[in-house]
Amino acid sequence: MSESPGLVAVSDLYVRFPIRSKGKKAYITPVDHVSFAIERGEVLSLVGESGSGKTTIGKALMRILEPTSGTITVAQRDVTHIRGNALVEYRRDVQMIFQDPFGSLNPVRTVEQHVMFPLRKHRNLKDAALQEALESLLERVGLTPVAEIRVKNPHELSGGQRQRVAIARALAVNPKFLVADEPISMLDVSIRAGILRLMNDLKADYNLSYLYITHDLASARYFGDRIMVMYGGQIMETAKSNELVRKPAHPYTRLLLAATPGNPVRQALPETSNAAPNLLEGRKGCPFADRCPFVTELCRETAPQLLSVDAAHSVACHHPIV
Amino acid sequence: MSQQRPVLELENVSVAYDSDKGPVQAVNRVNLTLYPEEIVGLVGESGSGKSTLAYAIMRLLKGSAYLAEGTIRVMGQNVYNLSKKELRQFRWSQMAMVFQSAMSALNPVMTVEEQIIDTLRTHRRDMSLSQARKRAEELLNLVSIDLKHLRSFPHQLSGGMRQRVVIAIAIALDPAFVIMDEPTTALDVVVQRSILDQIQEIQRYVHFAILFISHDFSLVAELASRVAIMYAGRLVEVTNSGRLQLLENHHPYTEGLLRAIPKLTADEVTIEGIPGYPPDLVDLPTGCAFHPRCPRVFADCMTDRPELYQIEDGLVECHLFKGAKEVHYV
Repeated sequence: MSESPGLVAVSDLYVRFPIRSKGKKAYITPVDHVSFAIERGEVLSLVGESGSGKTTIGKALMRILEPTSGTITVAQRDVTHIRGNALVEYRRDVQMIFQDPFGSLNPVRTVEQHVMFPLRKHRNLKDAALQEALESLLERVGLTPVAEIRVKNPHELSGGQRQRVAIARALAVNPKFLVADEPISMLDVSIRAGILRLMNDLKADYNLSYLYITHDLASARYFGDRIMVMYGGQIMETAKSNELVRKPAHPYTRLLLAATPGNPVRQALPETSNAAPNLLEGRKGCPFADRCPFVTELCRETAPQLLSVDAAHSVACHHPIV
Repeated sequence: MSQQRPVLELENVSVAYDSDKGPVQAVNRVNLTLYPEEIVGLVGESGSGKSTLAYAIMRLLKGSAYLAEGTIRVMGQNVYNLSKKELRQFRWSQMAMVFQSAMSALNPVMTVEEQIIDTLRTHRRDMSLSQARKRAEELLNLVSIDLKHLRSFPHQLSGGMRQRVVIAIAIALDPAFVIMDEPTTALDVVVQRSILDQIQEIQRYVHFAILFISHDFSLVAELASRVAIMYAGRLVEVTNSGRLQLLENHHPYTEGLLRAIPKLTADEVTIEGIPGYPPDLVDLPTGCAFHPRCPRVFADCMTDRPELYQIEDGLVECHLFKGAKEVHYV
């Protein structure tokens, strides 16, 4: 990693939501003091199960929600609490691709309306320049023949085509950074590879950085330069993709790997509870303690710090497997 | 294996439904046989007809969908020759189904125990309440759910526990054959794995055959002994799952799917999608339905429907294998 603080720097990010627990006001913490950085042109895969806080991190980075504390810096600019025009401007640099291409497009707008809107609003394009930008974008994301597809409504498109519209719309503002939240999990298997490859090609063409949120370790490794594994709102382990898959140090990463279909090293899963992690504010110890086969008293009392195993590999565990 | 009496026999099964644009063939002349205690995977993309086929087997086709031709036999019995009353006895005692969404398969206002007892007593009228209670306990033990959850409502259970309850209900009457339609798709990988392990373990001592429907190739290859691959309503290939490790001698669609999945640990990390999109069933391509997306397409593919060829111990429906032994169903 370079000396620069990276394109995206997240420091001690904390997000809490109010809930009612037994009639009393309480808070859950889907993002519990998380720090990480993403370099220019780098893809960071964020892996975790439902409820681990991965989507909340994506939304905080997009500033769809405002963090409770901590800082988010993008291109040396603190965006943690910006509002109004500053936020609109920020969205020129950061865009999001959502999981559900059926829900993220407006059913009564055509393909060209979806893509032209950001071109006009954020790039002030008009007339011939607008048409040209629209056509080259649609072509770039593989929505051809352009003349035929641009006038279609979302319901006339397949899932893969819709996701391409969503990608074209995100690219329209010339962003530096994309948050892709499970962009392929709702698509058919034969279509997924095409979308992953498209995102990969765009990374090179536009020097894009991505936060790729997924529950699938295989695609996380394929697309991501690094993988960050989350559980119960905290980072459990982060390493270069190949290293993480080959030399997992955290028991949770091991569990995930063992559970992933297609892993040639099939080991029986240790019998642990499948209970969802406790996200209540003020909990003690490691979030994974209840499910961990190597749990000790220390794990239940004190949350482990994220510490380096070596240069690009960190793990938050009192008893890492190294 | 062929000595045994088959559990499920599908002969030239076609399912159609009426649409504004005329009848649509969702399942097109499918032939498949399942033997006792066998797990067969059925893989296909959305709209390929895999769930429709499952509903046809269970005789659960609704609305304008109907069995257009062919025979479906379960334990030698033609499912479509049963009277309504016989069908109710037959379902669940001979064949059962696990649906994808556990939350909607369970009744939200009934406890786990009530739902199991309800199933037992609906399909087996002579069972007493105390027998049914006892069986409900056995079943929960079988799927490793604490007996305290007998009194729980579905919303009090986690997604994985709900799906275990649904599985318990499916095997409540010891069916010979269970269809599982994407039973773990909505679950996290760790929970998915523990449920699959559990299914295999239960199957080891309860002995039922499973038709396991999924879109996840790697998962099915691990679980099933044979895998059937469906495209646009047709079974384009049936292979033993071991052969799915190899990229050759398959239907081009199968090969495409195998290349489209990133491997977790393989050294090469390139993947290739299949160009184009799955076809519209209302307007199927001529000849082989896969030909517009096929990298090895030639003239015959556009005009003639391919024959089914025997390749090793599997079947492939593709012109590339012309010259191999043809297989004809009556």
